[in-house]
Amino acid sequence: MKTLEELRKIREKAQQEMKLRSASHRIKVVVGMGTSGIAMGAREVMKVLLQEISQRQLTDVLVTQTGEKGLSSLEPVVDIIEEGKPVVTYGNVTPENARKIVAEHIVNGKVVSDFVVAAENK
Amino acid sequence: MQDLSLHILDIVENSVRAQARNIWINIELNIMRNSLIIRIKDDGTGMDQDTLVKVHDPFYTTKTERVKKVGLGIPLFKQNAENSQGNFRITSELGKGTEITAEFRYDHIDRLPLGKISDTLLAGIIGHPNTDYFIHLKRIKLDGEVLEFIFSTPDIKDVLGVVPLTYPDVIDYLEDVIQSGIKKIKMEEYQ
Repeated sequence: MKTLEELRKIREKAQQEMKLRSASHRIKVVVGMGTSGIAMGAREVMKVLLQEISQRQLTDVLVTQTGEKGLSSLEPVVDIIEEGKPVVTYGNVTPENARKIVAEHIVNGKVVSDFVVAAENK
Repeated sequence: MQDLSLHILDIVENSVRAQARNIWINIELNIMRNSLIIRIKDDGTGMDQDTLVKVHDPFYTTKTERVKKVGLGIPLFKQNAENSQGNFRITSELGKGTEITAEFRYDHIDRLPLGKISDTLLAGIIGHPNTDYFIHLKRIKLDGEVLEFIFSTPDIKDVLGVVPLTYPDVIDYLEDVIQSGIKKIKMEEYQ
């Protein structure tokens, strides 16, 4: 098990890094975590997203969650929000699809059109 | 819901929607008394008595985003507790918060498995980094020995300072600490 000492080291490393870039996040990833989302596997999708982001050291990506969005039949639902771009909503996201979305959309900037259910300007 | 950890996450989401700043999650497994108790408490907006009665109704929801008006979270959790000869209690006070207690007969054949408690805690903590969590998991063994896992986010935030909980290495750290803590007291069951 990791110790608080290790957490202190992480803090030092993170603070060094935060000095080099602005504090804002380039991309916000929002997982729909209402009752139906949870029942359909949203928690597993969130877990995969967190793992991918931590493994790839994507310090400018923020994963967060929201409640029901009225898309029950399309759960789990994931929104990718990027400044100056339309919000892309992925539906029926599986853990494998989530990995693909990180690799192609978040890292390479290419929307994975197969899983998109909506895209809108906000 | 396939397991109790998903119910816990569902209730935590309710608490966050009710603007809770602090959420207390207690799970107590008492082998000697054959009981499993899950208690989730928050300091969110709370509910008045009328609303409190309505939450047991599957056709009641406060979620306005939906066309379909169903709110199955609490009725399903209650049903799952009662299916295992347990009981379910929800108390709430407007402006103070809400407390949910679900008790299960541990060895009942219809008791849902605990599931991945660590995934639920991680999702809650990282998904709502501004909410503080106080986790207390306890297993009382047949011989009376008590095994515990106690974890709270303010302790972590104290060490981290300005570094957010959502920083990649911190996510990794939290996952490790929570997983190994839960493993030590065997508070997870898989299907």
